[in-house]
Amino acid sequence: MRSPHFPTAALFCACGAAAAPAARAADVDVQVRAATGLPVAGAVVSVHLIGRPTPRPRSTGTYMVDQQDIQFRPFVLAVPVGASVMFMNHDPVRHHVYSFSPAKKFELKLASKQQNQSVLFDRPGIVPLGCNIHDRMIAYLDVVDTPWARAADAHGHVLIRDVPAGMVTITVWHPYLRAPGNSVSRTVTVAEAGVHGETFVAPMRTPPHDPGSGY
Amino acid sequence: MGRNTSLAMSLGRIGLLAVATALLSATSAHAADPAETGLLTAYANLDLATADGPRAWLDDRSGLGGTGKGRFGNPDGDGLRVRPYVSEAGLVVQPDFGWSLSGLVSVIAQHGQDKAVDVSEAYLRWRPLPFGPVRTNVRAGVFYPPISLEHRGGEWPVVETITPSAINSWIGEEVKVGGIEVNLSTMIGEHRLSLTAAGFELNDTAGTLLTFRGWALHDEKATLFGYQPLPAMAPAIRGVQARETRPMIDLDHHIGWYAKLSWAPPGPFQIQYFHYDNRGDPQTLDAGLQWGWRTRFDHLGATLDLDDKTRLTAQAIDGTTIMGFRGAGGRRWINMRYRSAFLLGTRQLAQGSVSGRIEAFSTRNHGSRVVSDDDETGWAATAATRWPLVRHASVLAEALHIDSRRDARLREGVVPHQCQNILRLTLRLRGGTAG
Repeated sequence: MRSPHFPTAALFCACGAAAAPAARAADVDVQVRAATGLPVAGAVVSVHLIGRPTPRPRSTGTYMVDQQDIQFRPFVLAVPVGASVMFMNHDPVRHHVYSFSPAKKFELKLASKQQNQSVLFDRPGIVPLGCNIHDRMIAYLDVVDTPWARAADAHGHVLIRDVPAGMVTITVWHPYLRAPGNSVSRTVTVAEAGVHGETFVAPMRTPPHDPGSGY
Repeated sequence: MGRNTSLAMSLGRIGLLAVATALLSATSAHAADPAETGLLTAYANLDLATADGPRAWLDDRSGLGGTGKGRFGNPDGDGLRVRPYVSEAGLVVQPDFGWSLSGLVSVIAQHGQDKAVDVSEAYLRWRPLPFGPVRTNVRAGVFYPPISLEHRGGEWPVVETITPSAINSWIGEEVKVGGIEVNLSTMIGEHRLSLTAAGFELNDTAGTLLTFRGWALHDEKATLFGYQPLPAMAPAIRGVQARETRPMIDLDHHIGWYAKLSWAPPGPFQIQYFHYDNRGDPQTLDAGLQWGWRTRFDHLGATLDLDDKTRLTAQAIDGTTIMGFRGAGGRRWINMRYRSAFLLGTRQLAQGSVSGRIEAFSTRNHGSRVVSDDDETGWAATAATRWPLVRHASVLAEALHIDSRRDARLREGVVPHQCQNILRLTLRLRGGTAG
């Protein structure tokens, strides 16, 4: 079973038929940096094919979002469409997890330090998560409809293996990326072998301010 | 009534301290961070304090409150003698009634409090699950309006210092309401907006302490049934106003209101505007000579994060209060304008924090019975540090300097211009059970 924690849980290309080594494919190596030069950890990099259908990801295993120290962990999780995400409460207090996203509306009532519940995410899109009890708890799921998607590590680095040769769109999404839809894309041509490198310099906004007291 | 030597009061603090100790030893569900909440939280603040300057305003051993600005004073002039205090102990119960309705009851015993144990806050909170981008919070009961940027958590503690600013000291001692408050918050693009509005009663005497004593810096909180002492008043008002004020009382059944708008644009900054009007009838009084005061103020608050460890916090307030009938020239007996502002800087360390605060305050009287003798001008500087010790304990050290001038001090034979220094070392114990 894959590690439940981000970012290692987010590599889908190794888990399905689409991830089997393609006859003519290359690895896509993406570096995501802010304009300041700092890496953008958690940025979700996804690849869609152009001129041919992008296969649906095949989800196996379980993806997890922990509640620990009155925070969601990870802050960003890439999830293949059709996958279930397990929400685990490690805190000694209860959490009321919810989302009103068009991609998935749900609520979970998680008693303290015991309950785990899973939610099926069957539509692609961004799913912001909140806790109705603790306002400062915020996280995001990026439910992706491609087998080639992964969230950046702490160094802003993503390696996506076995992307079929030809024209593709590479998209970078992050909740604090200052762009329409919080994402930027570019079209590139992937060679039949080797490693295709890309660097994204993303305009980032400062995370929302926590006033620290009430409203 | 000698509140500082009251046996009942001491027993109340000791009793709550004993409960707190028992809870701390029996449970380990949550820690010293006041943001963490549970079904039951017990806490106690143990102080070592030394001070100079005049008799503290809470020290009513002479039958009247003192003219000192701090929680502690040294009227006997016996040097910087260090004294121990249990400055505050309390229990906070936060039951849940389902997943959207919860409650909070805070029971408190403070050094200087006239009741052995009293209620600080008690309210129900309704937080329906959002079905769209707007979040809703509703509170009903007895609570502090959302003004202070220095307090946080169930027992309403000051987080980074021991003593709050003059503004938030006044909020703590006189501006607590019984009412219903609705808060709506949402994100519009990258901007977070929050609107809060409330209708309330139980705050008709707000402004009494500020008029007769002036500004002060302390961490004593108003309680639901408690009284606060007043110093010697102007001759023209003596016998008309009781010698103590009861902060939480309703005399005229007029519903007051407040509203707040908060804006957090993209970036490490947020600002908020707050307006308060208790709509008190200044001509209403009860048999105990508690008067209605018409008290209004405008308040601005802002925070700016210079980096991920350094925050600047500022608040400013400008208001008026009136009381009594119209006298000479059509002026009310009391018509007082009050202003204050502070800037607080806090740097988070690997363990704990260091803070510095500078502030200024003033009052100006334009009434027919209380005149410029009761005007006041002053400033204060505070340096504090906080260290977490273990999961259930933290230590704060604070040096507070208050410089103020108030001619009314002459009524007690105290020199109008006073410079006062207060040093405090506080051990905060906090623990409880999970919710």
